[in-house]
Amino acid sequence: MNLKGLFKKTALAVTAVAVTGFSHGVVGKANAEDTLEKLRAQGFARIAIANEPPWTEVTAGGEVTGAAPEVARAVLKRLGIKEVVASVSEYGAMIPGLQAGRFDLVAAGLFIKPERCNAVVFSEPDLCDAEAFAVKKGNPLGLTTYAELAAHASAKVGAPGGGTEERLALEAGVPRDRVVVVPDGQSGIKMLQDGRIDVYALPTLSLVDLLGKAQDEGLELITPIKGTPVYCAGAAFRKQDTSLRDAYDVALAEMKASGEFSELVSSFGFPGEAPNLTSREKLCGGPN
Amino acid sequence: MEWDWNFAIKTLPVLGEGVLVTIQATVLGSVLALALGLVFALMRRSQNKLVSRPTSFFLEFIRGTPLLVQLYFLFFILPDVGILLSPLVAGVIGLGLHYATYTAEVYRAGIDNIPRGQWEASKAVNLTAPQTWQHIILPQAIPPMIPALANYIIAMFKETPLLSAITVLELMNQARSISNFHYRYLEPMTLVGVFFLLISIPSVYFLRRLERKYSPHYK
Repeated sequence: MNLKGLFKKTALAVTAVAVTGFSHGVVGKANAEDTLEKLRAQGFARIAIANEPPWTEVTAGGEVTGAAPEVARAVLKRLGIKEVVASVSEYGAMIPGLQAGRFDLVAAGLFIKPERCNAVVFSEPDLCDAEAFAVKKGNPLGLTTYAELAAHASAKVGAPGGGTEERLALEAGVPRDRVVVVPDGQSGIKMLQDGRIDVYALPTLSLVDLLGKAQDEGLELITPIKGTPVYCAGAAFRKQDTSLRDAYDVALAEMKASGEFSELVSSFGFPGEAPNLTSREKLCGGPN
Repeated sequence: MEWDWNFAIKTLPVLGEGVLVTIQATVLGSVLALALGLVFALMRRSQNKLVSRPTSFFLEFIRGTPLLVQLYFLFFILPDVGILLSPLVAGVIGLGLHYATYTAEVYRAGIDNIPRGQWEASKAVNLTAPQTWQHIILPQAIPPMIPALANYIIAMFKETPLLSAITVLELMNQARSISNFHYRYLEPMTLVGVFFLLISIPSVYFLRRLERKYSPHYK
């Protein structure tokens, strides 16, 4: 056999492997009900997180913690999935990443909102929080709501990319060039201190955490923001993974009933009872 | 995943704004890179070691560190010493400075290519150093450099998405914010690629023509 023949055969073999690989992938997708079985068999689930304490946090040692991943970890353990493997992602990239099969679920404290319910299926709510602003001491521009932000001539607001606050600002009519996408919490505080942004918008607990770490007398917190409801988050799954979601809900309800849930989330500062006052269906504005 | 024409068309005006910022950053960055590069090249050639040594170290330092790190420095750390640059200005300085260290090498090679006889002849007719540079050396040295310089400008153009890391609303950042809002990456990212191609392909064609005009190999 000459070299050319060998090359051809190798190429054929590679193609064959690739084709089998692809068709395997397609079969995997068709049997979406087996996701739970698959996760049990492999022993871990891939989750998407942000890095926004106390919701989600990657510690200096590289450990994944925060209320959302801890809840997911406990629930998945009840389902027989021992480990979670987390990847840090921008909020806006979580749903596309989930749909592309990069994660099995999003455990980042993604708020349950109608437009997200169109794209994914949510668990019952687990973490609730009100919206807040961080501003310079004394609130020099006097901004307390998104409507005031929109009406102001030049005030800039910082928010995480694809997060609820970015959408709230844009929907309130703040022009795109005054909604600054802030890469992470530390940069947000820095940009506020440097005067690059006038308002840093995040959920209350996130800002309490950041301001506590910054130890800056020159900054203050405004909460709650009038005109924004208390949002509740849940774990998000692919549309076809409803059976996984349903199993997750059952285990979550057990944890809530046993008091384990309340203890876990309150250790991160979240209310234990608030999620029970609402439901996925209410938050989505319909069945999900 | 299916291509949605309506969505793609709806995003075009916003992406168009991003293209303008991208072009702005490239043009301003190029002007800075071309001007600073020449200054760096001349400083490096200086007879005075107190000038040439630090310049040489500075150039190696900038070239040896990633542009992204330099951008973070300009944007997040300079305010600590009281220098607050707007995102676009920080981005233009970052791009311009980074690429100036490369264009400096192009200038240096071009200048070194001028035969010794030209320098000696200038001295013989009693030209001062500035006159020698202005009338004898640079007019001969610059034309062969043009294709190489243009190449760096195209490379810089393709690096502009890095500016999205320091919140410049250029093409990539606009596309990301659209994707984040609608949970769709396919159309915005494809269009980003198309926009870059629409600008870079004619640029490459133009570059070829420059090469043919100025490069000694084509003569």
